[in-house]
Amino acid sequence: MNTLRLYCRSMAIMIKSQLQYPLSFLMQTLAQLVMEGGEMLAVILLIDRFDRMNQWGPGDLYFFFGLMSVSFYLTEIFGRGVTGNFPSMVRTGQLDTVLLRPRGILTQVLCSAADPRRITCIAVGVVSLVLGSSLSKIAWTLPKVLLLAESIFFSFWLLLGLFMVEAILSIHSVKSVELANALTYGGRSACEYPSDIYPRPLRVLFTVIAPFALVMHVPASVILDKPLYGWPVWTAFVTPLSGPAVFGIMYLLFRKAMKFYRSTGS
Amino acid sequence: MRAYLSAFRMRRRLELQYRGAVLGGVICQLFFGLILVAIYRALYAGKPQDMPLSQITSYVWLQQAFFRMLLASDPELLDKIRTGSIAYDLCRPLNLYGFYYVRIVAQKMTGSLLRAAPMLVFAFLLPEGWGLMLPASFAGFAWSLAGLLLGLLCVSALENITMGFTMRTLDSRGMQALLNLLMMTLAGNILPLTLFPDSWQRVITLLPYAQLLDTPIRLYTGEYELSQAPEALLIQILWTLLLVLAGCAFWRNNQRKLIIQGG
Repeated sequence: MNTLRLYCRSMAIMIKSQLQYPLSFLMQTLAQLVMEGGEMLAVILLIDRFDRMNQWGPGDLYFFFGLMSVSFYLTEIFGRGVTGNFPSMVRTGQLDTVLLRPRGILTQVLCSAADPRRITCIAVGVVSLVLGSSLSKIAWTLPKVLLLAESIFFSFWLLLGLFMVEAILSIHSVKSVELANALTYGGRSACEYPSDIYPRPLRVLFTVIAPFALVMHVPASVILDKPLYGWPVWTAFVTPLSGPAVFGIMYLLFRKAMKFYRSTGS
Repeated sequence: MRAYLSAFRMRRRLELQYRGAVLGGVICQLFFGLILVAIYRALYAGKPQDMPLSQITSYVWLQQAFFRMLLASDPELLDKIRTGSIAYDLCRPLNLYGFYYVRIVAQKMTGSLLRAAPMLVFAFLLPEGWGLMLPASFAGFAWSLAGLLLGLLCVSALENITMGFTMRTLDSRGMQALLNLLMMTLAGNILPLTLFPDSWQRVITLLPYAQLLDTPIRLYTGEYELSQAPEALLIQILWTLLLVLAGCAFWRNNQRKLIIQGG
């Protein structure tokens, strides 16, 4: 609990510190809006030309896109320490200071940064979710709301876990962390669309190895009343647990990797 | 002239040093290419278009292969301005714009060829409907090579204009990000320009961003017929000249206002 309080306090300070330069903050926030707006424009243009993707109609596609935007950028706001700063902390030796303090390494890394500029990306995602929900005429019920909340919450843990792959690699070798981007950013681009449109190897990758499908697409498809892979409805409540499972595995690997950590000494 | 040539050679050699780092980037780019192709395949399965699928997949692969040509930029210049060592460059008996223009051309050319070669081989080996098709005709291929060269000269001129903004404000990350995003969208990297609504395409293909990769790719796939090729190249040449002239004027103006940071 103490850790959680510490984290919340750090987040408040981090966000406040960024707001100290309101104009710069506003500009960068707008840039983020244009960026994510551009991504959504691509989806809109594709839907305009092709109407649908297999059994998924326009509303369904907007819903999937919105779910990914909201989850991904929530992770970027609140997990910035892991998603952005960690490799450079290793490279510059800044991580050494973290080792001296009487708190967990991961806690401190997570507390070290926040990225509130992404709030506009989340706004785009919410618009897309609402648009998708109304186009697909989703009949919202309490279980469906809970399912959406569960999906977003556990997506956060999944993404954090995948970003930790990069962190772990950066401890072992100071260079060549680009490969891990294939899982995180590649996963984001790919899983803006439901995973059953992909050929088998990619589908397996996004269901078993980086389980975006289990955490996002299975619950979302149940909310849309078109269960993915034809799985029964109750599975949608269970499969998102794979998100925290990935995080747990990565956490153990991270602790192992920290034993190898050698300061760069600068 | 010799001086510019040796600046070009030096930069090219530097770019060739980091061959190890290229591998990770190439694998990542291949993965993105596969995902994009899979998405377009699924879309085509639902509603086939007039344009054959193999043209779209070729478009995707060529864009991915020359990705580096669009985004590579010279980080040294920014540092030089911030630390004041730009003063050394100003002492050279060379035009500052010209010096950095040949450097960026060398960087973009070497960086993208180094990545494109393995990626294009991979894309050729993929089966029909997934990979890169052969050029529509030999003449079309020759035209597209010329178009690619002009695209390189054009994107370097654009890059120098972005750099011009950087000189003005020291911290122009927001500006740079916006301009790059505009470029990636309107150059056809995020979504092939051939898939934009037809009425938009008439305007978009005339913009400078379409001159970078879209024109050479269309010449390659045969979307532009041979009779249209001279006109397409003429537009590229006009934009390149215009952007170089505008960039020169912009830089000269900046140079007058430049303050050397001491230290």
